[in-house]
Amino acid sequence: MPSTLAARLAKEWRQSGPGYMFLLPWLVGFFGLTLGPTLASLYLSFTDYDLLTSPSWAGLDNYEYAFTRDRRLGNALEVTFTYVLFSVPLKLAVALLLAMVLDRSVRGVAFYRATYYLPSLLGASVAIAVLWRQIFGAEGLFNQLLLVLFGWQGPAWVTHPDYALSTLVVLAIWQFGSPMIIFLAGLRQIPQDLYEAASMDGASGWRQFWRITLPLLAPVIFFNLVLQTIEGFKAFTQAFIVSGGTGGPIDSTLFYSLYLYEEAFANFRMGYASALAWLLLVIIAIFTAIAFWSSKYWVYYEDEAR
Amino acid sequence: MSVRLNRRQFGGMVGGAAAASTLASVGAFAQAGDSVRLIWWGNPDRDRRTNEVIDLYMQKTGAEVVPETYGWGDYWQKLATQAAGRNLPDLIQMDYRFIFEYARRGQLAALDPFIGAQLELDDFDENQLASGRVDGSLYGVSLGANSMTHVYKKTILENLGVALPDPTSWTNDDFVAMGNELKGKLPEGMYFSQNMGSLEPRLEVWVRQRGKALYTDDGQLGYDLQDLQDFFAFWKDLQDQGLTPPADVQAQDASQKMEESMFVTGRSLFGFIHSNQLVANQNLVEEEIDITMIPNQDGGEPGQYLKPSMLMSMAESASNKEAAAELMNFFVTDPEANDILQIERGVSGDASIRERLIENLTDTETKIIDYLNVVATHVGALPPPPPKNAGELDRALRPAWDAIAFEQISVEDGAKDYYDNAVEILERA
Repeated sequence: MPSTLAARLAKEWRQSGPGYMFLLPWLVGFFGLTLGPTLASLYLSFTDYDLLTSPSWAGLDNYEYAFTRDRRLGNALEVTFTYVLFSVPLKLAVALLLAMVLDRSVRGVAFYRATYYLPSLLGASVAIAVLWRQIFGAEGLFNQLLLVLFGWQGPAWVTHPDYALSTLVVLAIWQFGSPMIIFLAGLRQIPQDLYEAASMDGASGWRQFWRITLPLLAPVIFFNLVLQTIEGFKAFTQAFIVSGGTGGPIDSTLFYSLYLYEEAFANFRMGYASALAWLLLVIIAIFTAIAFWSSKYWVYYEDEAR
Repeated sequence: MSVRLNRRQFGGMVGGAAAASTLASVGAFAQAGDSVRLIWWGNPDRDRRTNEVIDLYMQKTGAEVVPETYGWGDYWQKLATQAAGRNLPDLIQMDYRFIFEYARRGQLAALDPFIGAQLELDDFDENQLASGRVDGSLYGVSLGANSMTHVYKKTILENLGVALPDPTSWTNDDFVAMGNELKGKLPEGMYFSQNMGSLEPRLEVWVRQRGKALYTDDGQLGYDLQDLQDFFAFWKDLQDQGLTPPADVQAQDASQKMEESMFVTGRSLFGFIHSNQLVANQNLVEEEIDITMIPNQDGGEPGQYLKPSMLMSMAESASNKEAAAELMNFFVTDPEANDILQIERGVSGDASIRERLIENLTDTETKIIDYLNVVATHVGALPPPPPKNAGELDRALRPAWDAIAFEQISVEDGAKDYYDNAVEILERA
C-alpha cells in the first residue's frame, strides 16, 4: 500500500518537517564537526599522544594518572568548584534582581535592558578580560577609587593569590545578561491577576515575591541554574587572559579547562588532556543529574497537577 | 518568546547544550599549492622586517611565499597542532629548546644535502652552525646569536652619579650593594631590580656560575637542591630588602610580554632580557637604556653563553625542498635581505654580512654588538639541549617562586617541592 505510506510520510512531514528544518543547521554542525572529534578524543584518552608522533595505546594509564598521581588536578578541581559555587548563585541573584527592576514599564526600559545586557555580549571576550586586568591591577581603577575614598592602597588584586579568583567571580557576576533576559521572559509569563488578588488580600511585596514570583519562576530558575553551572565548569577565557595564560599566581586561577589546555597544547600531552576532557564531561553530567533529581522537590511546571 | 516548557522538552535542551559544547576541535588549513610557507614568532617590528624580505624575494625571483606569524605564547601550540595535522609550513623558525624534539621525531629535514647547492654557508661561523646540529646532521641554520643579559636605565644611573662596576667581574654582592646605595633615590614606584626568582634562564646562569647546568646530557637535572635553595634565597632576600617589587606587583608580568615587564612599565631600574631584545625594549622605554653582564658569584665560572637566538628549519614534509632551501639561503646570506633584517633576530653568523651590517647600525644596535664582543671573551660552552618536558619545568618555576614570594612556603620547602616535582616531570618524559 505505497499510497498510504506516501500519505503518512506527507502527513508526518507536514507536522514535523519545519521543526527538522530548523534543527538542520545544528544537526549538520553536530554530525559534520562535533561528533567526529568527540569520538576521536575518547579514543585518544586511552593513548599516549604528543601531537608530533602517532598516538600509542596506553590503556587506562591516563585515567590512573589523573586519579592517583596528578599533583595539580586536585587544585584545578578545587578552584573550579569554588568558582562555580560562588559565581553561579550570585550571578543568578543579580540577574533576577535586575530582571524584576526592568520588568516594570518605565520610560526607556528597552534602552536599560539593552544596556544591562551589554556586558554579557562582551563578557567572555578577550578585550574585557584585558580590561579587568587593568581595573584590578596594582594601580588600576579599583585601587585608585579605594585610595580616593578611603585613603588605602590596595594590593594588585588580579595577581595576588588570595584575591585573584574573587576578581574572576566578580567578572562572572557582571555577565548576568543572558540569565536576566530569560528571567524577564519568565516574569512576563506570570499572570498579573495573581498579584492583584494577593495585594487585595493584603500580601506585602516581599510575601508576593516568595509566594508567587519564586514558585512560578522555578522552571526558569532551574533552566538558568543548569546552564550557568555548565558554563561555570567550562570557564576558560577570563582566567587565561587575566592570569597571562598561567593560571597563576600559584595556580590560584588554574581552572579545570585551563589546566586541560595547558596539558594539551603547552605540555603536548594530548592523550592525557583528552582523558581530562572526558572526566570534565562526567563531572558536568553528574552535577546536571543532581540538579534534575533535586528539581522534583522544588520545580513545578504549569502543565502538571500538584 | 515563550519559556513554557515541560520537563521532557527541557531535558532534551539542556542535554544537547552540554554535549555539544564540552569538546571542541581544531581545524587545519588547506595546503597552499606550489608556494613556500614560512612561519615565525615575533613582534610587530620583526613582522614588518620579515614581510619586507619576503616581498623582496618574491620580486626578485617571482616565487610565491606565504607568511604566517604568531606571538611566542601561541606559536608552539600552533606548530604542534600543524605537525599533528601533517600540515607544517615548509620553513619554520625554530628555537634551541625545541629543535632536538622536532628533529628526532622526524618532523624536520636534514639540511646537509643542500649545503653547497642552494645553501651557501662558507662564510658561516662554525660555532653558530654547531647549534643547529642534531645527532651529527644540520637541522637548523642560526638566524643570529644573542646572550642573556641585564638591561638597565643608563640615564637614571648617570643622573644619580653612580657608575657601573667592570661588567666582566662584578658580583652579586656588588649588585646588592648598588641596590642599597640607590635605595630611596630612584623615581617613585621604581625598584632597583625586577625580581628574577621565577626566570629559568636566570637560574641557568646561576647554576652555570657554579660549574653546573640546568640539565645533563642524558636529560637529568644538572644542579643540586642546594643551588636552587640559594637562588631562591637570594631573590627572596632582595624582595625583603625592598630592592625588588613586592610579590603581587612583580606577579603582574606573568604573561612575559615585553610591554608588561617591570623594566618597561617603569617599576625597575634593572631587568633581564636577551641581548637582541634591546632594540625593542628601547622603543618602549623613555630613558636611554643599555645592557651589561649578569653579576657573577664569588670566584664563579662564566654563567652566560652565546646561543642561537633562533634558527630556521625545514619541514620534512616540505613539498618543494629546493625552493624552501633557496628562500632559507636568501634570509641567511643575502646582503639586501639582511640590510632589512639587521640584527633584530640576533647577530648574523655570516662573516661578510656581519661586516656589512656593522657600518650602518644605530647606537642601540651597536650596544648589542659591543656587549656580545665582551661576552664572547667570558662565556662558557653551549649547554646540552634541554630534554623533553623542559618547557613544563620552565613554566613550573613561576608558581614555585610565587609561593615563596607570597610567603605561603619557606624558601627551603619551596625549593624542595620544585626540585622533587622537577625530577618527577623529567621521569614522566
